[in-house]
Amino acid sequence: MATRIQFENNCEIGVFSKLTNAYCLVAIGGSENFYSVFESELTDVIPVVKTSIGGTRIIGRLCVGNKNGLLLPHTTTDQELQHLRNCLPDQVVVQRIDERLSALGNCIACNDHVALTHPDLDKATEELIADVLGVEVFRQTIAGNILVGSYCAFSNRGGLVHPHTSIEDLDELSTLLQVPLVAGTVNRGSEVIAAGMTVNDWTAFCGSDTTATELSVIESVFKLRESQPAAIVDDMRKSLIDSYV
Amino acid sequence: MRLEKCWFCSSTVYPGHGIQFVRNDAKVFRFCRSKCHKNFKMKRNPRKVKWTKAYRCLHGKDMTQDSTFEFERKRNRPERYDRNVTEQTLKAIPLITKIRHERQKKHITNRQKQGKTKERERDAKELEQDIQMLPKKDVMLSTQKTKVVVKVSQQQTEENLMEE
Repeated sequence: MATRIQFENNCEIGVFSKLTNAYCLVAIGGSENFYSVFESELTDVIPVVKTSIGGTRIIGRLCVGNKNGLLLPHTTTDQELQHLRNCLPDQVVVQRIDERLSALGNCIACNDHVALTHPDLDKATEELIADVLGVEVFRQTIAGNILVGSYCAFSNRGGLVHPHTSIEDLDELSTLLQVPLVAGTVNRGSEVIAAGMTVNDWTAFCGSDTTATELSVIESVFKLRESQPAAIVDDMRKSLIDSYV
Repeated sequence: MRLEKCWFCSSTVYPGHGIQFVRNDAKVFRFCRSKCHKNFKMKRNPRKVKWTKAYRCLHGKDMTQDSTFEFERKRNRPERYDRNVTEQTLKAIPLITKIRHERQKKHITNRQKQGKTKERERDAKELEQDIQMLPKKDVMLSTQKTKVVVKVSQQQTEENLMEE
């Protein structure tokens, strides 16, 4: 179910929040409306954590994560690191990495199985990604752009990429990621997909500028339409709950 | 807030002190004071500048490898907050610093001990070779006779007096 929201009158939701299957991070300083939208969708299912990274609010673009782990840039302070470790469930490994390209959200796009990375990423970082997030890593570009993390958003069920991606590129990426991909836009024609929206396996949040056409494309490619919350949670229960007490 | 180390001299940089320089390759250099910053700008290698920790550790003047240094490593994977662990850590910190300081002092005294023994050897050799240089009355040779004071008992002298 895709929802339209704004953060302080700004439609770039993917910049101020990070949504995965196991947790949701939101920036501090927004109005309570912003949080209440996330909380109404997600409260009992996954933890919604308010945080800053390096004292900034652009957390969606600085960190990258999936249900297995969360990677943070070296600018993250020790207090923020500790806060995240306390708030997130124990299965999620929280790791800070030393990397020249510190905006990890712009350089890495991942779901629970595969990650696409910036071609100039360090070898050590690539190994850390494979280790912490438990994914297979591919160095790729999207429509000639090296910032793969900003120009595509994908979950375990589908993906949306930069509108100017050629069909061959689309097919190649689709076989790499093993999910159906569609080239589209968000927020009334914005090409920076991952900055304009944030998605996981059963919900998506987009900027309020997103047109109805874009929203329907999003709902169809990420397969959100047939998702009734209860049915999806039952489906997801295995990935959400580790052990029955 | 984090207490960083100066890149040049390795002393701690407290909040409100020093300058940070960010190079084009995104490497950050922190300096504790303008002395270190200016030395950096002159492109001096801290391993060759005698008063820095880098020089001292490289040349074996200061203790380099010790288990107490492991406690202060930067960690990138945090652990969940546990009150007892935090309490014990806070209690342990002054003990660890005390032990570290003592070990560092010991390292330096051990290093200087060799100098002391060498000095004694030199002094012994000098005594052996150059003893003629000293004035004779200051030198006690083993061949000289020593005066010994003998105590006479009081009773015997009284008896002598009595006889007379």
